[in-house]
Amino acid sequence: MIIKHRDKIASPEHIRSNFQQLGYICSESIATAVFLACQLQKPILVEGPPGVGKTELAKKTSEYLQAPLIRMQCYEGLDEAKALYEWKYGKQLLYTQLLKDQLGDVMRGAKGLNESVERLHQFGDIFYSEQFLETRPLLQALREDDGAILLIDEIDKADQEFEAFLLELLSDYQVSIPEIGTVKARSKPIVILTSNNTRELGDALKRRCLHLHIPFPEAALEQQIIASQVPEMGEQLRDQVVAFVNELRQQALKKVPAVSESIDWARALLLLNVEELDRDWIETTLNLLLKFQDDIEVVSPEINQLLSNSRQQRR
Amino acid sequence: MQQLIGDFIQVLRLQGLPISPAETLDALRATQLVGIEERGRLKMVLGTTLAKSTEHRLQLESLFDDFFTFGTSDDSTEVVDGDKNQNGESAADEVSSEPQSVETPPGTDGQPAESTAPPQSPLGQQLMSGDDAALAIAIASAAAGSGASNMQVFTQKSRVSYQMLQQLGEPELNAEIQALQANNEEPQLVQALLERREQLRTRVRDYVEQQYLLFTQARGIRLRESNLQKVKLTNVDHHYHQQMSRLVRKAAKQLAALHSRRRRVTKRGLLDVRKTIAANAAFDGFLFHTKWKSTRVERPKVVVLCDVSGSVARVARFLLLFLHSLQDVLPRVRSFVFASELGEVTDLFERLEMDEALAEIMAHWANRPTDYGQALSDFERLALSEIDNRTTVIMLGDARNNNTDGRTDIWQQVHARSQRVLWLNPEGRNSWNTGDSIMSEYAPYCSRVESCNSLRDLTRILGSLLKHS
Repeated sequence: MIIKHRDKIASPEHIRSNFQQLGYICSESIATAVFLACQLQKPILVEGPPGVGKTELAKKTSEYLQAPLIRMQCYEGLDEAKALYEWKYGKQLLYTQLLKDQLGDVMRGAKGLNESVERLHQFGDIFYSEQFLETRPLLQALREDDGAILLIDEIDKADQEFEAFLLELLSDYQVSIPEIGTVKARSKPIVILTSNNTRELGDALKRRCLHLHIPFPEAALEQQIIASQVPEMGEQLRDQVVAFVNELRQQALKKVPAVSESIDWARALLLLNVEELDRDWIETTLNLLLKFQDDIEVVSPEINQLLSNSRQQRR
Repeated sequence: MQQLIGDFIQVLRLQGLPISPAETLDALRATQLVGIEERGRLKMVLGTTLAKSTEHRLQLESLFDDFFTFGTSDDSTEVVDGDKNQNGESAADEVSSEPQSVETPPGTDGQPAESTAPPQSPLGQQLMSGDDAALAIAIASAAAGSGASNMQVFTQKSRVSYQMLQQLGEPELNAEIQALQANNEEPQLVQALLERREQLRTRVRDYVEQQYLLFTQARGIRLRESNLQKVKLTNVDHHYHQQMSRLVRKAAKQLAALHSRRRRVTKRGLLDVRKTIAANAAFDGFLFHTKWKSTRVERPKVVVLCDVSGSVARVARFLLLFLHSLQDVLPRVRSFVFASELGEVTDLFERLEMDEALAEIMAHWANRPTDYGQALSDFERLALSEIDNRTTVIMLGDARNNNTDGRTDIWQQVHARSQRVLWLNPEGRNSWNTGDSIMSEYAPYCSRVESCNSLRDLTRILGSLLKHS
């Protein structure tokens, strides 16, 4: 990747403070990982519970480095044709239909089958050339002149085979297309892979990546995050929100609220003009934090308890 | 620096972190970028480049704290390679629980005694200069020269310490001190030198001790683990049960990782015509995409019967533990245990923690006289009808039947209905059919009869079970 402003990645602190200006509050380990990824040209594998800002990290990196973000969402059954390239079959068909008459002209006068085939060969592989190549995210990332940020989202959802297929890309930044040959990156992209740990990733893949685990943020960091995302919110209410969410995370729930949920909740509370967090407000807005009815039923009777716990915690 | 990072990686590997040379290179390049001056940053950088899972990350961080410690004063930014007092505990266990205790005591430090003439020997000068970091580096390099990282047994410790002191130049220092004492010169200097020499010795000893713990203890654990793999399960001491359970889980995890992938096998060359036509309808019937026939690899249905009487009980314990640790790849395991009566214990494993379940089974079913006939007729009543041609039946028992009827007719039916019957006998082949063992009566109705008495056997047999399913 050609980084237009090398000074942007001069040090982790620099990255951290600049990310902060872009509205992404990150811990030091995140900044260090981004720094190393840029300097060493290695992919980062980001793990962590859903909603802690794994995808956001890629978006902000692209914004910060002013490089295009190319995103590839992984899912079961994803294969080369959808990730790397595909031939434009429709276009090929259309062209053969249109060129039928032309072909008739070309073939006219050819004696015997051998000569016809010979003439056909002269046209080479026009139908399998760049014009008929439909680029998919991976290829596109390799063909960006100034490099790009390639986000391979939720790699754990893809199949094992696809993971193996990625290895060539991740270590050498090149891929092989049988009809064309090896495509090398014009400029190495910065690759960010995210995983929710639904399955164990292969060692080969892990070995090629830097590893970054983003946990739920600590209270102070989360306050900063909410302050930057929902700046209109008063400090006192923000404290209460963070403390309460933290308290919720201690409970045995199916899905504990992540940062994205606390931001949503903070926004909602702001819209509702809530000034002081109390039982009623929590009850009416709990569905923003908890995404399972079971969880809501578990938490509802406990709200008072949680609230008082969170008040103590703040002291 | 290379040496330092290299040593650290060596320690990590000994503790079981899989670190490849490629990752080592990454770590070195990253370290060059950020430098080793800042402890927190170095830890983060090494964690990012070397550890590839949260578990490994935690391990790395705790080892890091053991391995790297820094000079006392805040502005001394040199890396001091381990001048920490380890007192005989596991290196991994105590994470920075102790303060850095053996530093040069402040009393003599910093204010070089008001001696007029500096000492002549290089080590003496170094000691008197009060440069802690430089001394630590000298110790580290002396350690590398004396093979501190290659210690195998604890008796080597004193030799290594001696060699280190030699390399640091202790002989010259001693000679100087003696000369000074003999001539009665500079009493203050002599006193200071003696004190510092003592400190140096303690420090070297501590350093060697720590190196020994870091490098050797892990080797010892490994050796024990590999021995436990081979040892007869019936002889495993109760003391090692905990460790064995951990090993069993580890082995099960490896097997599961190995076999969770092969869920679908394509039959290359067999075109699935129907699917191909459907997939290419959009292209006017031109067959661009080919769809091949594939078969899903069936997860085997496993029914396991365990004799939990007497000596077999111990093996049964590990077999059950192993099978139920394989949940990911073997979701349908039904377990039965028996001594005389037979009962199903599958739900126990679902309800309780593994260890509790095992304890309950042993308390409830074990310690009764064996009766295979009774057990098999119970089995016929409970579960025979559910055995189909995709079921693998595993029997673990020594076939010692106290001279009663073995009901081989039922076993024959089991064999006929199931896909496969494995009989695992914890006794060696030589003792089969001796005494009241009726192994030969059951053997004709088994697909395989194996002697199974170590974790290694278990891993091998269950591995083949998964492979051929």
